[in-house]
Amino acid sequence: MKKCLSKILFLVTLLTLPAVTSLSQGKSKISPYIQLQYFKNTDDQAYLLTTLTYSMNRMELPLPGMVISFFAGEELLASVETDEKGMAKIPFDRNAELPVSFDGSWSFSSEFKGNDTIEGANSELAIVDVKLEMTLSLTDSIKNITLKALSTRNGKEVPVSGEVVTIYVPRMFSLLPVGEATLDDNGTAVFEFPSDIPGDEKGNIIILARFEENPTYGNVEKRITEQWGIPTSYSVPKTHRALWTKTPPMWMIITLSILLTGVWGHYFFAVISLILIKIDAKRKKAKDEYRAEL
Amino acid sequence: MKVDKKLLDDLTPELTKTSTKWYFVFFIFFAFFLVGIYALVLQIDKGHIVTGMRDNVVWGFYIVNFIFFMGLSYSGALISGVLHLFHTEWRKPVIRLAELITVISLVIGPFFIFFCIGRLDRLYFLFIHPRIQSPITWDVIAISTDLVGCFIYLYLSFVEDFAILRDFNELKVAPWKKKLYKILSLGFSGTVEQRKLLSNARTIMAAMIIAIAIIVYSVLAWIFGVTLQPGWHSTIFGPYFVIAAVFSGTGLLIILMWIFRKVYHLEEYITKRHFVNVGVLLIIIAAFYGYFTFSDYLTKWYGSIKMDSLLIDKLFNQYYSLFIFANYIGILLPLIIIAIPKFRTIRNITIAAIIALIALWVNRYIIVIPTLETPFLPIQDSRPDWIKYTPTWIEWALTMAGVSIFAMLFMLVSKIAPIISISEMQEKDKNEIMK
Repeated sequence: MKKCLSKILFLVTLLTLPAVTSLSQGKSKISPYIQLQYFKNTDDQAYLLTTLTYSMNRMELPLPGMVISFFAGEELLASVETDEKGMAKIPFDRNAELPVSFDGSWSFSSEFKGNDTIEGANSELAIVDVKLEMTLSLTDSIKNITLKALSTRNGKEVPVSGEVVTIYVPRMFSLLPVGEATLDDNGTAVFEFPSDIPGDEKGNIIILARFEENPTYGNVEKRITEQWGIPTSYSVPKTHRALWTKTPPMWMIITLSILLTGVWGHYFFAVISLILIKIDAKRKKAKDEYRAEL
Repeated sequence: MKVDKKLLDDLTPELTKTSTKWYFVFFIFFAFFLVGIYALVLQIDKGHIVTGMRDNVVWGFYIVNFIFFMGLSYSGALISGVLHLFHTEWRKPVIRLAELITVISLVIGPFFIFFCIGRLDRLYFLFIHPRIQSPITWDVIAISTDLVGCFIYLYLSFVEDFAILRDFNELKVAPWKKKLYKILSLGFSGTVEQRKLLSNARTIMAAMIIAIAIIVYSVLAWIFGVTLQPGWHSTIFGPYFVIAAVFSGTGLLIILMWIFRKVYHLEEYITKRHFVNVGVLLIIIAAFYGYFTFSDYLTKWYGSIKMDSLLIDKLFNQYYSLFIFANYIGILLPLIIIAIPKFRTIRNITIAAIIALIALWVNRYIIVIPTLETPFLPIQDSRPDWIKYTPTWIEWALTMAGVSIFAMLFMLVSKIAPIISISEMQEKDKNEIMK
């Protein structure tokens, strides 16, 4: 009997062992995606942005509350926690003494050290500082945008050539791309701006030139507000009856009203008939009782 | 109210006693229902990721089931309304079944919409911010109007039966049932005045629910028809859906006739003549349904619009077996079985009805799914496994739960009211009274 019991016990142990082992291994760690980006706005203020995300059920989800360390070369710039979108951002002074490599670029990196549930990750970036200038000119009603880009290498300004700058005009929901200009050997490009873009009531529009996700220069933009748009009044037009406005076409209201009145009218008739049956039944009962009393 | 005792005994077998078989069958359906509830809890907890629906195919099994059940409902309304209005002599044993199909399907159908909606918490927006330009709003108005109408129509047909059951002293039922019959019969005693009122109300409601059934199911078809999607944007979708609905409803009516005839031993009342008559109705509708199907696909194929051609290619390749079953076998087989007198037995007619019913469900599937798998524009960052729809066990479980609730409600109704209208069966006497 004892032998039999010990055999069963051994068998059960053998069977449950893989399950116990797999349980003790716990969940595998999350492998995050990390991306470091460089931005410089129209006022020449620069910042570094790191986005930390992971993939679950084929969706990219943010990792908030994680500490990201930013480095310039080997030097630690700052450590910042990611926000609810998984983003950590630090401004930095372009004029500060930052280590520069032999080709005149800054080497940045950001690092997430990882924790018990998430693996560590890091991202690197080499950026050459670029000065983007935008000048607007109007000649014979032709609107020209002149772009000039100069980078600084070994203390000297060098024209940026062969790179593409995209021109945008902000609209209600997003930026409308109006064209692209490729910089020549002198680091300049001329772009003829379209004359049919609606502006505000005075014709003001914002014109925006951008280096976008450029592997050497990062994200650099310049913006100018100018009266180059068609003056447009944005007062809400008087609503009219249509499929796509708040007020439906009259025929729809009339048709629906007739249909619903007709149908519910007949329902009402049926319900009234039932009530009349009930009343008739009560009357009959009273009559029968009266007769019985007599 | 007087009634023939034999008639009452024959037509109310489940009112007085509950057999072990009844409990057993009910338990099986209830088990399916519980599995469905578990699936629903999982879906609510984890979201729609547990279903096969993704970015492209946002309507899956649930919408197919919704259209299918709504179709059954409207066909029930159409059949019972038409049979009542034309005073068809053979209608008496089958009209109650058609009326019950109408109401029970109409109660179950909309639940599949709720399963499909991602943000159920915003459902009330449909009522507080309705836009009558939207076909969805038309559908909400139409379904709720139809539901009220069908309940009134069903109740009108029950009033006289409740009065008969109330006055039948030998009926051994629980006191609460007697009380229920007393309340629901509204004191109906069969006076000339009461009969006239009831008859007028029933005639008017019969005409109404025919009109409503056509309008409501057309509205449902227009939700597809007004959408600029390959395969859906069709002018004949309204009548095509109505015909298809009647086809499936007639099939279900035959199946239910067979089941109740067998289980409640109603051979004396539901005869071969009834099966043949409803069967003939089925083949007439099958012919119309086949004509509409052919017409719809022929014009799309001949037009050779790129997306329509892609869709038809998909139907004849990827969905070949389903397409052939739904649109060839599902139409031709019932036609052959019922049209040839030699094959026209009760069993064969029921088999033809089962084929028709399943084919119609498959037809709904190949209307909804392949179109969504053939979008006009590719979705950004889409993956092949997001485009192809495969239902998960959750969707199967909820579908089976829907079918189970349908069966359970039918079984429960048969415990309260006769499944064949007693008042209709003794209409001959009634007509004499009216005279």
